Amino acid sequence: MTIDATMVGRSYAAAESYQVGREKIREFADAIGDPNPAYRGDDAIAPPTFAFVVSSRALEELLNDEELGLRLDRIVHGAQKFAYTRPIKAGDEIAATATITTVRKAGDVEVIMYDTALTTVDGEPIATATSTLSHNRAGA
Amino acid sequence: MKTVEVGAELPPLTVTFRRDDLVRYAGASGDFNPIHWSDRMASALGLPGVIAHGMLTMASAIRVVTDWLDDPADLVEYGVRFTKPVVVPDDDKGANVTFSAKVDKVAEGLAEIDITAVAGEEKVLGRARAVVRVQ
Repeated sequence: MTIDATMVGRSYAAAESYQVGREKIREFADAIGDPNPAYRGDDAIAPPTFAFVVSSRALEELLNDEELGLRLDRIVHGAQKFAYTRPIKAGDEIAATATITTVRKAGDVEVIMYDTALTTVDGEPIATATSTLSHNRAGA
Repeated sequence: MKTVEVGAELPPLTVTFRRDDLVRYAGASGDFNPIHWSDRMASALGLPGVIAHGMLTMASAIRVVTDWLDDPADLVEYGVRFTKPVVVPDDDKGANVTFSAKVDKVAEGLAEIDITAVAGEEKVLGRARAVVRVQ
């Protein structure tokens, strides 16, 4: 099992939508030690990197693709980027879809880039998360 | 919305990560990779010790920008490279990371801001950059 450029374009939708609650936003803001009042209350928006938590539901599906054969304990998160149409906010119901955009190989190390589109379940764009992972297949 | 000029420096921020912060972030984010809480698992993978989640460092770094903005919703883009792990010892002192930021470019209602993250003597993020709406 390996990974190659023919896998560029494969898409993985999160199995379920993510319903964003204000208490989850508060919990996340507390966990990153961020007291910003924008992240609290009925009209709370989520801290910027909360987008990664929502996008990870799609990553789970990508990691479940047996043809890729990726193992979480061999993955290093190399880079992360977000482009926001608007902040995530309490009450959003979000669909996440990850699409592989780049595959590079250097010996046993595979570099995989994928974009995760976050939209409301009605299709309104919210943000795109671009992730770079290094996967080491040595001895696998 | 903020008004800003090229070269302006944003107020810096130092945060301290202790083991309990990593456990709390693991719970809130759902990232339970044991390298963020188990010395045994971290050293088995050749790490010098338990390391902070890269996403926790990334979340702290953008506070330099969102603390300064009137509204964090003015952030339109944010990216980093994870260049060095932040090792978090199992003690009361923890690990300090200092973030600073400087405006690199202002054009057409957007400002591009470079962020620096230093733990000990080392830069732990590379090419950390935010784009925000300004007046």
